[in-house]
Amino acid sequence: MAHAPEAAAVTRPPVRPGPERPFPRRRRTTRYGPLRSVSWWFLLPALALYLYVVLAPSLRGAGYAFTDWTGLGSQVSFTGLENFRKVLDDPAARDALWQTLLITVVITVAQNAIGLLLALGVDSRIRSRNLLRVLFFAPAVMTPVVTAYLWRYMYAPEGAFNTALETLGLGSLTQNWLGDPDLALWSVAAVVIWQFSGYSMVIFLAGLQSVPRELHEAAGVDGAGSFQRFWHITRPLLAPATTINLMLSMIGGFKLFDQVYVTTGGGPGHATETLSTLIYKNAFQFDEYAYSTALAVLLAIVVAAVSAGQYRGLQRQKGMS
Amino acid sequence: MNRPLLGALCAVMTGMALTACSNTSGMSGDGSVLRVASNSSEKISLDAAVAAFEKANPGIDVQTTYADTDPYLSTLRTQLSAGTGPDVFYAFPGNGNAGSIQVLAPAGYLADLSSRSWTANIPDSVKTVTQVDGKQYVLPVTFTGIGAVYNKKALQEVGVSEPTTWSQVLDLCDKAKAEGGYAFALGNQTPWVTQLIDYALVATLVHGEGSTFDADLAAGRATFAGSGWHKAMEQYLEMNERGCFSKDPLGTPVETALKQVGQGEAVAAVQVLATAGQIKDAAPEGTEFGMFPLPATDDAQETRMPGAVGASYAANAKAANAEAAGKFLDFLAQPQNTNDYAAKSNSAPAIPNDAFAPDPAFKALLEHQKAGRTVPFMDQLWPNPKVQQAHLSGVQDLFSGESEPRDVLAEMDEAYKND
Repeated sequence: MAHAPEAAAVTRPPVRPGPERPFPRRRRTTRYGPLRSVSWWFLLPALALYLYVVLAPSLRGAGYAFTDWTGLGSQVSFTGLENFRKVLDDPAARDALWQTLLITVVITVAQNAIGLLLALGVDSRIRSRNLLRVLFFAPAVMTPVVTAYLWRYMYAPEGAFNTALETLGLGSLTQNWLGDPDLALWSVAAVVIWQFSGYSMVIFLAGLQSVPRELHEAAGVDGAGSFQRFWHITRPLLAPATTINLMLSMIGGFKLFDQVYVTTGGGPGHATETLSTLIYKNAFQFDEYAYSTALAVLLAIVVAAVSAGQYRGLQRQKGMS
Repeated sequence: MNRPLLGALCAVMTGMALTACSNTSGMSGDGSVLRVASNSSEKISLDAAVAAFEKANPGIDVQTTYADTDPYLSTLRTQLSAGTGPDVFYAFPGNGNAGSIQVLAPAGYLADLSSRSWTANIPDSVKTVTQVDGKQYVLPVTFTGIGAVYNKKALQEVGVSEPTTWSQVLDLCDKAKAEGGYAFALGNQTPWVTQLIDYALVATLVHGEGSTFDADLAAGRATFAGSGWHKAMEQYLEMNERGCFSKDPLGTPVETALKQVGQGEAVAAVQVLATAGQIKDAAPEGTEFGMFPLPATDDAQETRMPGAVGASYAANAKAANAEAAGKFLDFLAQPQNTNDYAAKSNSAPAIPNDAFAPDPAFKALLEHQKAGRTVPFMDQLWPNPKVQQAHLSGVQDLFSGESEPRDVLAEMDEAYKND
């Protein structure tokens, strides 16, 4: 093996003759060398905290998926993949997965479509745009549990929605919003869409404000209409905001718990059961903590896989555009 | 800053962060603080008991927390397994529930209370659901029932008296409907409410005179599907089709249903008697209430009423303040304090005493208890929490037309066998 200085001597490129520099070149220490290792030292406390508070408990928790622990006591036996096999045979898990997918797709599409429309609206020069931005964003800063309780009362058979419909002479349109199994899932989705469309709006708005006005002006001079300008200029330049919004709303949809738990508890029957509510019930009501952990592990894998797929797809699309 | 110094600084910061995280006890360890947790339905009674206890023990500060059944169970179980559970907490008698003593005691979370003096006064029938392997794990405070809590003025306006037969129940429904109201408020959006009418009906239809149903079920000689449970569910659905219930029960939460009775929009609600306090809270001043057992047949003599140990308190086996926990339970077990607690929750003391004067409106429970015409809450004798959960979601499916009684009962049988 060559001694290090010898190896360096061998691999060093030949020095080309040239004009002498007026000042000696500074060593590039920002990306390589001492500062890089210093930055790792700065990362260490946060990394250690993350490892201790998030990663280690999560991995330890995931370990219960391979046991028969009930959530209480110290009796634990290793059961291998038994809980995962049980998930495949459990119709409740399959139904919950399907309903989770459905509500996630609906929330992701509707929340972002509404968020984009709101962003386009408040990005215009209307006088009340600042007030509107605050109003549309306000629900997003409220606690989901609180908004869910409010909506539960508005959805009640004699709640605000049905009363308003009756007052307007539209009594035939009154619904059993949370009690009808065909409607309940969409009623819950509406709560989420209402609350977080403003959140998507803010991200889109940030994207819109980074689109150079000159591009629109130039396209306008070339005779492009509003829709053409949106489609060929705004839409491609909004790709980063769209990527973030789609990922956040999709992950939120997969993890949906508070709004379902408060408004319907997963019912009527299992009509609004999502993976998160099923995990909760198995852990705290059915005495099946290990099985609920297996469900949680599967949910994490699904979310990670779909997020990664979506991210790659959107990145590819961005590259193409 | 030189590198070794920077590294040392980071190491110190990391150590501090980890040290801060390792302080997870969450327990005050302060001898003057007693942490008590209970179900929301017990708030009125327990708050009064705590106030009396603090007055009698000025050095002890009692901190209470309340939650509705589902969040209560999840919080309690998490705290117990993390070693941060309350010193004294509401535990469910018998089995069939994730917070019942048959689930918590074997896991080692309940202190053995067998040596307490009041255990000698507990009736044998109560011991069966408050003991595990011969050891006393809870203080049974109330004996409660499931019956129809009604608004006297609303019943009067309908023009009928307390129904004592099934036909009279249906008659009440028809007349209340004709008056533009409802006979029974029903909040079946709240899962635990869905079971109450079934329980009230099977008390008579399944657990009547000389019934051995529970023993037969445990021995595999009987099934839910092949029992009077089927008829009970059919009658439950008949009530729904007949218009006995308030509008859209599946979309109505329990709080709304209780308010409907308090304000006279519905005549009655079949409920655990402890919730009568919430009904009274929603009623105008001076409103009077009563209670009748829900008949299931046309022979009034056959009517049984679900009646069982209600509020029960356990001491945490790893209580931060075990001494105060024992003191609190001993205080609560004193006849006067038990009576005050029971009176406020419209129930009877689980450890009977002659000094108890029941509210006349709820005397039917005591009469049934004395006559031996009460049967334990059904889930207290089920082997696991899944049977009850199958029942709760099954009733919602019945009301939404997604299932038939035979499907729901088959699921309950399956859950029972899969213990």
